[in-house]
Amino acid sequence: MKDPRPPLSLRLRRRRVRDRLATLLITAGGVGVVVSVLAIGVFLALEVVPLFLGADALSPRELWGPQPVEGYAEPQHRWRPEPLIEGDTTHFGMAPLVWGTLKAALWALLFAVPLALGAAIHSALYMPRRLRTRLKPTLELMEALPGVVIGFVAGILLAPWVERHLAGSLALLVALPLGMVAAGGLRALLPMPLRVRLSPGWAGLWLMPWLVLVGVATLWLAPAIEAALFGGDLRGWLADTLDLDYAARNAMVVGLAMGFAVIPGIYALAEDALAGVPGSLGEGAQALGATRWQTLWKVLLPAAAPGIFSAIMIGAGRAAGETMIVLMASGNTALMSINPLEGLRSLSATIAIELPEAAVGGTHYRLLFLAALVLFAFTFLVNTLAEGVRTRLRRRYRRLEGGT
Amino acid sequence: MAVIDRPRRGHRRGRWSALLLGGLLSLMAARLPADDVVGPLGAVGSDTLAGLMLSWGELLTERHPGVRLQLQASGSASAPAALAAGTTRLGPMSRSMNEFEREAFIERHGYPPVELEIARDALAVIVHRHNPLASLSRRELDAIFSESRRCGGERSIERWSQLGVTLPGDRIVLHGRNVASGTHDLFRLRALCGGSYRVDLNEHPGSAAVVAAVAAEPSAIGFAGLNHLTAGVKAVTRRDAAGEAASPTPQAVRRGDYSLSRSLYLYLNLPPGGALPGPEHAFLELVFSPLGQTVVEEQGFVVLTEERLAEQREWLDSLPPVE
Repeated sequence: MKDPRPPLSLRLRRRRVRDRLATLLITAGGVGVVVSVLAIGVFLALEVVPLFLGADALSPRELWGPQPVEGYAEPQHRWRPEPLIEGDTTHFGMAPLVWGTLKAALWALLFAVPLALGAAIHSALYMPRRLRTRLKPTLELMEALPGVVIGFVAGILLAPWVERHLAGSLALLVALPLGMVAAGGLRALLPMPLRVRLSPGWAGLWLMPWLVLVGVATLWLAPAIEAALFGGDLRGWLADTLDLDYAARNAMVVGLAMGFAVIPGIYALAEDALAGVPGSLGEGAQALGATRWQTLWKVLLPAAAPGIFSAIMIGAGRAAGETMIVLMASGNTALMSINPLEGLRSLSATIAIELPEAAVGGTHYRLLFLAALVLFAFTFLVNTLAEGVRTRLRRRYRRLEGGT
Repeated sequence: MAVIDRPRRGHRRGRWSALLLGGLLSLMAARLPADDVVGPLGAVGSDTLAGLMLSWGELLTERHPGVRLQLQASGSASAPAALAAGTTRLGPMSRSMNEFEREAFIERHGYPPVELEIARDALAVIVHRHNPLASLSRRELDAIFSESRRCGGERSIERWSQLGVTLPGDRIVLHGRNVASGTHDLFRLRALCGGSYRVDLNEHPGSAAVVAAVAAEPSAIGFAGLNHLTAGVKAVTRRDAAGEAASPTPQAVRRGDYSLSRSLYLYLNLPPGGALPGPEHAFLELVFSPLGQTVVEEQGFVVLTEERLAEQREWLDSLPPVE
C-alpha cells in the first residue's frame, strides 16, 4: 500500500520548524518575565531621578546624614517629609528607615534561622518518613497565614503580654534552648529500655511535653528570679543600669512575629539542600567511625552550606520586604538605636502609610519611590545571589554523585 | 397511559410556572420606586469620620436602593490628594485643608473646593484607667509630647515621677496617630503650638488603635477623638493658667471653649454654578436634616449650632437643580 503520509523529509522539516517555534515562545516568555522585573526597577529609578536634579535638588547628606533639629544641640536623624504650616522645616533623613528595616530583618533572622535550620537538619537527616510527611503540611500552613493576621496578633496580644511578663519572656528565651540541651543530656542518663523508647527520630513528639513543662516552670519562677536578681523591677534595672528604655512595641516582638512568618521559607530551602546531599557522604563518614554529631557538623553541613546560605538569604529578603507585620507590631517610631527593646520604622511600612497622602509628583512622593527603589535593589541582589549560589550547589552535587 | 399523560401535565405545569414567574417579576418591578437617585457615591478621607459617613450612607441606601457606596477612610490627608487627582468628589476631613493642599486643588481644577462643616468634635488626652493623673496644663502636655516645647516648657517630661505620679513603668510611653491623620495635625497645632512630636511617639493608623494601645499599657498616654473612648481609658482634663479644669462637654465643644475641639469638614469638588449629581445631593440633604444630626450625636460627636445648620441648608437649596 502506498504510505498516505507526506514524505519523510517534509515531516522532518515541519517537526524542526515546530520545535524551533516552541523554543522561541518559551524563551520569549522567560525573557519577558525578566524584562518586566527589570522594567519595574527602571520605572522606580526614573521617578527618583528628578529628586537629584534642578534647583531644589537633594544632596546625599540631607538624605543620609544628621541635620540640625529644633530643640536639640546636636544634629539628629529625622524623617519628617511634609510641612504642615508655613515655615515648617522638613527633614528627609532616610537613614532611620533603612536602619529600622535592617534591624527588624536581623531580629527576625535571629529567631527564625536557628529554629528553621534545626528543624531542617532534624527532619532531613534523622526524622522517620512518617513524621516528616506530617511536618511539611504543618509548616506550609504557617506560611499560608497572612502577614496582617500575624501583625495583628503580635501588636494586640503579644506585645502587651511580653510587656506585662518581661522577665518571664526573656527567661523563656534562655530557658527553652537550655531545656532542649538538658533533655538530650538527661536522656543519656535514662535506663536502657526507656532510652530505646525515646528515639532521636521521634524527638519532635516526646520533646513537646518536656518543653511545655520547662516553659511553665520558667514562667512560674520568673517573678522570684526578678525579685532576687533585679530587685523586683526588671524594666527599672534595664533603664538605670544598662540605659535601655523599654517600649511595648519593640524590635524583639517584631522579630518574633516576622521570624514566625519567615521560618517556613528557610525550612523548605534548607531541607531541600540537606536532603540533596548524597547519602553516600554521610554513610561513608559513619562507616569510618564518626559519631552522628561529627558527621553532621564536619561532613553534611559543609556539603550543604551553599544551599543553607541561600535559604538564609532568601529569608532575609522576605524579612526586609514584609510590610504589615512591621506596620502593626513596631510602633512606627523612626529611631536609630541599637536597643532591641525600642521601636523602629521600616521602609515598607513608611511607603504603606504615606503614599496615599503624598501629592503626586512632589518631593515626598519621589522620596517614597526612592525608598521603594532601595527595597527593590536589596531584595533583587539578595535573591539573585541566593539563586546563583544554589545553581553552583546543584552542579557540585552532580559532580559528587558522578564521582562515587 | 402514564407515559402519554406525563408530557401533557408537564406542559400545563410549565405554563403555570411561567405565569407565576412573570407575576413575581412584575411585582418586584412595581416595588422599586421610580428613582432618579441612582449611581455611585464615593468618599475618600478621614478615619475619624468613617463611622459617621458609613451611617449616613446606610440611611441613604435604605431610602434610595440604587445608590452604591464606595467609602475609603485612610486618613484626612488622603482626601485632598484624591480630590485634586479627581478620584473622588467628596472628601471628609477631620481638619481644614492647609494652603498647600488648597493650591494643589486649584492648580488642578481651576476653582477652589467647597468647604462644608458637618459636625464638631473634640480630642481627648487619654491615660490608662488605673493612672491617677487628673489634669495637665498646656506646658506639661507640650513637654510630654513634643521635642520642640514651643508652648514654653523648660524641660522635656519623660517620666511619670516628674508629674508626681507613681506607676509600675516610670517612663511615659506616647501613642498617637500617623502623618496621614487630621487628628495628628490638629493636636500638633493646638497642643504642641505648631512644634514637632517626639521621635518615640508610637504611630497608629486609627483612633480606635490608639485607645486600644493606651488601654493595654498602664504607663501610656495618648490622644484620640472623643467618640472612640472606651472603658479601659480615661480622659485627662486641661488645666488652664487659673488652675481651672476644662473638660470636653458638648456645650463647651460646640461653643469652642474647649481648646482641643475642632470642626469636621466635608470638602466637595463642585465647579461654581454647577449642579450636584443625584446621590451627592440626596446625601447632603440627609446630612443637614434633623435625622442626620441625630446620627451625629449617636456616633459621639457634637451637633452644629442651629444658625450654622440653617446657613448650610440655604446654600444647598441655592444650588441649581439636579438634572
